[in-house]
Amino acid sequence: MSAVLRIDKAGPMTTIQDGGRFGMLRHGLSASGPMDRGAFLRAGQGGIGAIELTRAQFELTVTSGQCRIGYAGGLFTIALNGEPHPWPGTMTLQSGDRVSIAPGASGNYGYLRFSKDIALPMVLGSLSTSTRARLGGLEGRALRAGDVLQLALTANDPAKPTGLDAVEGPIRFCWGLHAELFGPAVRKRFEHESFLVSASMDRMGVRLEDPQSVFGSANNLSLVSDAVVPGDIQILGDGTPIVLMRDHQPTGGYPRIATIISADLDRFAQMRPGTAIAFRSVSVEHAHRLLRSGLA
Amino acid sequence: MTGPSTIKPAIVPLGDTSVLVRFDSKLSEAANQAAIALAAVLDQSHILGVQEVVPNLVSVLLRYDPTLTSYASLAGELRLILFGLDKTGAPGRAWTIPIAFDGPDLGDVAQALGLSVPQFIAAHNRHPLRVLTTGFAPGFVYCGLHEPALVLPRRPTVRPSVPAGSILFAAGQTAITATEMPTGWHLIGQTSFKNFDQAIMPPTHLRAGDLIHFEPLP
Repeated sequence: MSAVLRIDKAGPMTTIQDGGRFGMLRHGLSASGPMDRGAFLRAGQGGIGAIELTRAQFELTVTSGQCRIGYAGGLFTIALNGEPHPWPGTMTLQSGDRVSIAPGASGNYGYLRFSKDIALPMVLGSLSTSTRARLGGLEGRALRAGDVLQLALTANDPAKPTGLDAVEGPIRFCWGLHAELFGPAVRKRFEHESFLVSASMDRMGVRLEDPQSVFGSANNLSLVSDAVVPGDIQILGDGTPIVLMRDHQPTGGYPRIATIISADLDRFAQMRPGTAIAFRSVSVEHAHRLLRSGLA
Repeated sequence: MTGPSTIKPAIVPLGDTSVLVRFDSKLSEAANQAAIALAAVLDQSHILGVQEVVPNLVSVLLRYDPTLTSYASLAGELRLILFGLDKTGAPGRAWTIPIAFDGPDLGDVAQALGLSVPQFIAAHNRHPLRVLTTGFAPGFVYCGLHEPALVLPRRPTVRPSVPAGSILFAAGQTAITATEMPTGWHLIGQTSFKNFDQAIMPPTHLRAGDLIHFEPLP
């Protein structure tokens, strides 16, 4: 049987995501998809679509039916009818059950997946919400209290989520499209100074603080607009670095010094405001070896 | 205008899952036509591991699966294709798009160019414009390039929101919006033509290289 869920609490950026809406860049639409792709997968590959949880209280009630859920990503706390359960994990929900999730010790994004597909219309082949383009998910917007989600009939149990070995160390990058415009001194300092994750973050981008003023001197480079990819680090005219994330604009005209490698972008997405970051350059070949070995 | 013979493409990685073939570091007719021509060839090439081909103003982005191919082999394939590339490509399709030239910046634009409003409208529509690329936002097309006498910088301030179907003008180009958005470009008109529909596949009508005749509504 299917199930009906009522959202009782949600943060302002809590959205529905699936693997992403790929192939739409030439139509002016970036792929969206999970901010932490690895955590989305670890939450269990059950039905299509997940709720991407943010650093805010989340609560849902099963108003009818039953389902299994899997959850992972960051360190959240989860309770079933007020009783705490371990994170990550799985559980079975019956009609009337209430699930409460709260941000815990670390991380920005968690994923709640279901044994059944979230029954919403696919938009251009995907359920992912693009808040920038206002499409996908539920009416192209973030979830809010009072929303009702139907789960489809077919069931496919989420696998038991596994924890992730903590990876520490610098965030690795490949030099970006405009790296040479910054000059050797700035490039060297970019690798040697420390940056801070700022509180200004969303699915489009994360602003960094630059306490050592690596990019202090304003640049007013006029560049031809060119392709943007997730992980690009662009430098605004006032010297502010911004890491472009899953809802990035498909093209942009600010200079980009570097691109965070795929193996480290999930880890970066989970860093909270105030976290210090060191950047370290690697070759594209090295980034590929990390991906192939699964050593994120 | 830069002649095709001076166009020298650079192949550069963009992160670890994309490669960019860039024909110039600034916008020119030749670089834009070369990018469109290369994208058309790559669309038919089905190179192993390539997941998406995206023409931009002066470049083509290829997204690839690094478990199926390497940067080095992809760059090698691209060099071979570039070697035999006809950089002017095939002509695009022709469109006539009706425009109400009634935007709030129309008078300022005409004045800044030393023209009356009717003179500006006539000059703007004298030649069809090519779709240079789709980008920035869903269905947003950059059309150009205008002759040097019709080049204006952007406005000093950003307008917080313009509706879908806005006709924007700046930097030697005319753009058509397909979604509501903020913009620093001059708002010169409006069209009922909708270039983005999320319910159909593909979701946009206009393609890079298409020719657009702007038809002023009376």
